[in-house]
Amino acid sequence: MNGRFLTIAGRIWLGAILVFLYAPILIMALMSFNASPFYQLPFEFSTRWYQALGANAEIREAALRSVLIALVTTTIATVLGTAASIALFRYEFPGKQALRILLFPPIAIPWLITGTAMLIFFFGIGMGRGTPAVIIGHVALALPYVIVVVSARLATFDATLEDAARALGAGPWMVTRRVTLPWIAPGIIAGALFAFAVSFDQFVVSYFLSEPGDATLPVLIYTAIRKGFTPEINAVSTIIIVVSMLVMLIAARYSKFGGER
Amino acid sequence: MAEVRVEHVTKTFGDFRALDDVTMDFPDGGFFGLLGPSGSGKTTLLRAIAGFLFLDAGRIRIGADWVEDVPVEKREIGMMFQSYALFPNMTVADNVGFGLRVRRVGAAEERRRIGEALDLVRLGDFGDRKPHQLSGGQRQRVALARAIVTNPRVLLLDEPLSALDKALRVDMQIELKRIQREIGITTIFVTHDQEEALALSDKIGILKDGRMIQAGPPREVYRNPIDIFAAEFLGEANILRRPGGSLPSGGVIHLPATATDASALAVRPENMTLSATEPAADGLSKMSGILAQRVFSGALGICLVERDGNVVKVIARDEDLPDIAEGDTVWISWKPEHTIVIPGG
Amino acid sequence: MSAALAPRDRLRLLGLLTPAYLWLTVAIFLPLSAMLFFSLLSDVPFGDAPWHVTADNYLAFFQTTTYAKLLWKSIKLGLMVTLACVLVGYPCAYVLAKTIRGRAREALFLLVILPFWSNSLVRIFSWAIVLRGNGVLEVGLNAILPFEVDVNLMFSTPAIVIGLVHSYLPYVILTSYLALQAIDDSLIDAARSMGAGKLTILRRIVLPLSLPGLVAGAVLVFVPVVGSFMEPRILGGRVGTYYGTVIEDQFVAVFNWPLGAALSFILLAVVLLILAVTSPVLRRAQA
Repeated sequence: MNGRFLTIAGRIWLGAILVFLYAPILIMALMSFNASPFYQLPFEFSTRWYQALGANAEIREAALRSVLIALVTTTIATVLGTAASIALFRYEFPGKQALRILLFPPIAIPWLITGTAMLIFFFGIGMGRGTPAVIIGHVALALPYVIVVVSARLATFDATLEDAARALGAGPWMVTRRVTLPWIAPGIIAGALFAFAVSFDQFVVSYFLSEPGDATLPVLIYTAIRKGFTPEINAVSTIIIVVSMLVMLIAARYSKFGGER
Repeated sequence: MAEVRVEHVTKTFGDFRALDDVTMDFPDGGFFGLLGPSGSGKTTLLRAIAGFLFLDAGRIRIGADWVEDVPVEKREIGMMFQSYALFPNMTVADNVGFGLRVRRVGAAEERRRIGEALDLVRLGDFGDRKPHQLSGGQRQRVALARAIVTNPRVLLLDEPLSALDKALRVDMQIELKRIQREIGITTIFVTHDQEEALALSDKIGILKDGRMIQAGPPREVYRNPIDIFAAEFLGEANILRRPGGSLPSGGVIHLPATATDASALAVRPENMTLSATEPAADGLSKMSGILAQRVFSGALGICLVERDGNVVKVIARDEDLPDIAEGDTVWISWKPEHTIVIPGG
Repeated sequence: MSAALAPRDRLRLLGLLTPAYLWLTVAIFLPLSAMLFFSLLSDVPFGDAPWHVTADNYLAFFQTTTYAKLLWKSIKLGLMVTLACVLVGYPCAYVLAKTIRGRAREALFLLVILPFWSNSLVRIFSWAIVLRGNGVLEVGLNAILPFEVDVNLMFSTPAIVIGLVHSYLPYVILTSYLALQAIDDSLIDAARSMGAGKLTILRRIVLPLSLPGLVAGAVLVFVPVVGSFMEPRILGGRVGTYYGTVIEDQFVAVFNWPLGAALSFILLAVVLLILAVTSPVLRRAQA
């Protein structure tokens, strides 16, 4: 086999995968602009489903709730996660490795299990379902991502800069505020955007923890899909996809997903 | 074993001319150093000989075969990489045996030759180790054993010693030379360390901006550099831009017969002598200046002499230097045959 | 371990770490413990109904073959999806990491993993629109092909597999890409200089060195797929009954929480087993 042939075959493979990944999303977006309520072809352009969205109070409220939950989650997870990352970076102490390992259960255990476990626990302590429960759950899922992303940025930080600042007479808080935080700011921004995406896209945990009347957007969509597809769902889904992809594109500007800097 | 010939080789990357019409001979069994500053094309030339590059123009011959269209894996070369490129997932023995396995020499033969190669680099007992369990110098030896175990026609070394610290580097230079002599393999190596190139090579080639500006035995290139770049890159040189003859401020520079109006003159710092008074001996080139700085570095003393805004460097055994202090007027002198004529100027 | 921390540093350390880990304890670790407790109860301990500690919920798993069969069905689904993701994703990661350079590589890599960070529910829904009878795929194929075809993949196992591969493929590409990118190109050059062909290099150098990344990706796919319930529900319809959907039912339809808890814990045991089996390979990634 010759190298040129393999190179071309590789490019085609990559192209096919991109088509596989994006085609259904694009088709869904396209269909949200199709006038027919039964996805009939030929295509006839219309924004009626987006207008219908505007008139649908239930969807509007769910969307607002999802955004608010995501913002609260992002704030809490970013602050707590950044603090923990700095502690894990700056200090040597017994059990540090164990603490790092404890970050994996929220990522590695299927959300079905964590979600139902939270449901049981919150009922057990008398709190029950509802938006506070959803937020507690989302923060827990987002925290490990924030810590991983901020720690990755911290790993590129020259710790002797902290020593230098202290030698110049700065106290620990001053060192953190004037030296450490400015350096890791891109990591914090990226971590915050990750946290937003985790919360905004979260379905499983929200599904078990939200009150029927207080559904988040994905939960509302799931319920609607099970009753039957409507182009209205396409419209709101298209908006969701565009929002989360935009958030991640911005995150990518601040933090490379790959190993290179 | 084979001789190597590179003929009019040109390679561009986009707008960048990495190799520009390079021609050089590497006779059978010799040890050759390619040197130049970074970006000069020396590594590109080595990779071209290895076969990692597709040439824009030119030909490369290894032994009797023209190989410019032969892929790396069929060129029968041995190569050692700057990072050593030992396979981290394999033991030392498996690393060394990799090329033998590819050639299907059989298990018994493979074991025998791995043993021989490891003995040659004095690592006979290290076959079961993993690369990360070795020191830098040991890794370097494994990489060398791996490169020569298949009896390649030519051995290519990319900055072979640059990852080692200075003391170890000198030991490994001697070791490398011993092994090369022992197996008599044509060896081409790339370095930016001119001392290393001078110490190891039978012949060196100096590259600059993708062009081979001078090639020849080290001593010859050192004594007769073809231009100012070669003179300054290989060792140190005081370049004298003024014409020869009597100097207005006293002193004289005897012009060699080969000098023309276009040529520049250079004198190596170690060929100059420093004295407190004007030397009386006839036939010496000499000039005066102010001693700006004197540095003691153990065996050697380094003196910087200022003269009309130019600084001349003199190196001598410290005990041979006269009793002079910074700020004193001193005299520099040298034998006329130490005046190097640089033809291109 | 270095010398013990000064008391003041110890306070700062606690101040920085406690909030995050307290949160994880309340939201993850205590709930998991509560679920273990629940799985051993005869009834939910909220109302007036009497309850006692029992192993009946676990016994229920073994007394009928229903749950075990469903678990096996879910594991098979997991293996199928994982295999598909590995076969499709690893070559893609290789092409990205080793044959494309510079800005084009970064952009393409971002493009490949971007969908992964968008809503998975919405992406599953998008496949429903493509795969349904008289849907885009059928109409599209009939427009191209000279004969009529009937493509109604909706509510079938292939539909579930396609949807799940779409959801989790980026995991394998991401982890494999990172592992492949970390392989020094000079190792491949070295192998070539010793006469190795492409297949030998793949088999003896590239594959062994990127195996931890590939396995990590496979685990990241397998684990959530075994516990999936939303995807089979939407794309599988009546054939979409899996272990995950049964657990979901115990919590949102049947309200037998203790049984649901026990089933969840058995699933967790399977997940932990997978992690334990693969951990020697995964640990190599750090060495």
